[in-house]
Parts: sequence; structure tokens; C-alpha cells
Amino acid sequence: MSLPERDTLLAEVRSLTEAYKAGGPPAADAFRELTHLLLRLTVLAPEGGVRLFSGPRGRPEFVLGGWRGHHDPLPLTDGRYLRLTVRLYVAPVEELSRLKVASSSSQYQLDREGDRWVFRYDYLRNPPDPHPSAHVQVRANLVEDCLPRDVTLQRIHFPTARVSLEAVIRLLADQFGTPCHKPPEVWRPVLAETERTFLEIAHRPLGGPER
Amino acid sequence: MEENGIVELTRDEIVEMIERGAKHRLNMSARQLVEAYRSGRLENPGAVADLLAFASLLLESDPLFVPA
Repeated sequence: MSLPERDTLLAEVRSLTEAYKAGGPPAADAFRELTHLLLRLTVLAPEGGVRLFSGPRGRPEFVLGGWRGHHDPLPLTDGRYLRLTVRLYVAPVEELSRLKVASSSSQYQLDREGDRWVFRYDYLRNPPDPHPSAHVQVRANLVEDCLPRDVTLQRIHFPTARVSLEAVIRLLADQFGTPCHKPPEVWRPVLAETERTFLEIAHRPLGGPER
Repeated sequence: MEENGIVELTRDEIVEMIERGAKHRLNMSARQLVEAYRSGRLENPGAVADLLAFASLLLESDPLFVPA
């Protein structure tokens, strides 16, 4: 284990975390840089990366997505893909401007197009439909025949708490066997550091609609 | 156009991307996708979460959001 490398990385992620928490114009880019760093240490293929996009609505609103195109999934070290999409906006909070997440989606998929997806975590701050704000879907078959007629398992939205990018990375590395660039002695403390802050400040939605 | 690491997409680029994705995944148009989502009738919004996120970069007055 390289302790100096781990300590340097911890200092870097703390600095980026403070920058995105501070809000203002640099917050979105700090968030992008932090996301890229976490992925680069772990499951992201060398040619992959994340980028911020804006549109006619202007700079208070951004979408974080894949490097090579508008909705390019991130190539992973196992030859598969993570379709990561985060919708960000800057909102005034007590005379400051804070970076907020309007929605996020992390889909593990075998092909670039996403036809062969495996699981997907979604979060939507204000969902217009009756599904839980934060949920997971799995594209699989149930062993037991217990679903309503014409409903497949992949259509079931299992409610979750907010699931961090760090948790998705661990799921891929530890349970799907996706190789990581750095040893766990380096990336685990880094992910724990950034996830702790995420869990402190993340919006916690109800498990379903109020009315 | 890229500025300060942020890629500025034009309205046409965004709409073309949504059209292509909505057609491939749900066999519907971009307008049908947005309408179904906003009315809460889209059965599986997560399947097109990326397209809906990019739609949010368009102005609220965009013709895509005007009901047919």
C-alpha cells in the first residue's frame, strides 16, 4: 500500500468536496472532477471520463454524462458500461448559491446502447409519477411466480435510500468483479471519505408519493 | 462548443439526441416522450433518465414542451 499516495488522494478529494459544497460557479466543475477521480481510481476504463453539458437554459443547469458524447455510457475495466447521468442545478440557499442534484441515474449495462442492462439506480427529486423518488430496478427473472399479470421484474421499482456513486462503485468492484486501477487499500478510504459527506448533505426523499 | 470544460449544446443537438434515443428505446418521438413524462404516464422513466436530463437543458418555452 502506498500511504503517501492515499494521503495525497484524501487531501485532493477533501479539497474538491469543499469546493462543490461551497457552491458558486466553480461548484459544478469540482463535482465533475471529484466524480472523475473516484471512477478513475476504480472501475473506469482508461479511455473514459465524465463531462458537464449545458444548453439553452444557461449555466445554472448542467448535466454530467459520459466523455465522448451527449449520452455516452462510461466504459468500464470489465468491458461493460455504466450509464451515469446526473442533473445538477445551482439554487440560492441563505444568500449563497448551492449545487443541488435534481436527478441521478446509474445503469450497469453490457452493451453501449443499453439494451442489455443489468441494474439501475435512479433518484428524482420531484418525480411526476407514483414511483419512489429513489429506487433500484433489476433486469432479471424471478424464481417465484408472484408478480401481477403482464408485469416483469424489471418493471418493479424497489424503493431505496439515496444510493451514492461510491456505493455503486463498490457494488461493481466487490460483487460484479469489475477490476479497479488502484488496490482497495487506496480506493476504499477515498470512497469512504467522499461518501460520508454525500450522506450528510444528500436530500432524503420519502419512499413514495405523499398524496 | 466547449468553454471552461463545459460543453454547450445547441437546441438542435439536444432535440436530435432525444429523438434518436426515444425512437430506439421506446419507439416514440421526443415530444411524445416529454408529454408522457410530464403527465406522469411514462411507465419507466429510468429507462430514459439520460434523455430526460438533457431535455431539462431546454428552455421552458421550447416547442418540444408545447402540447401538440
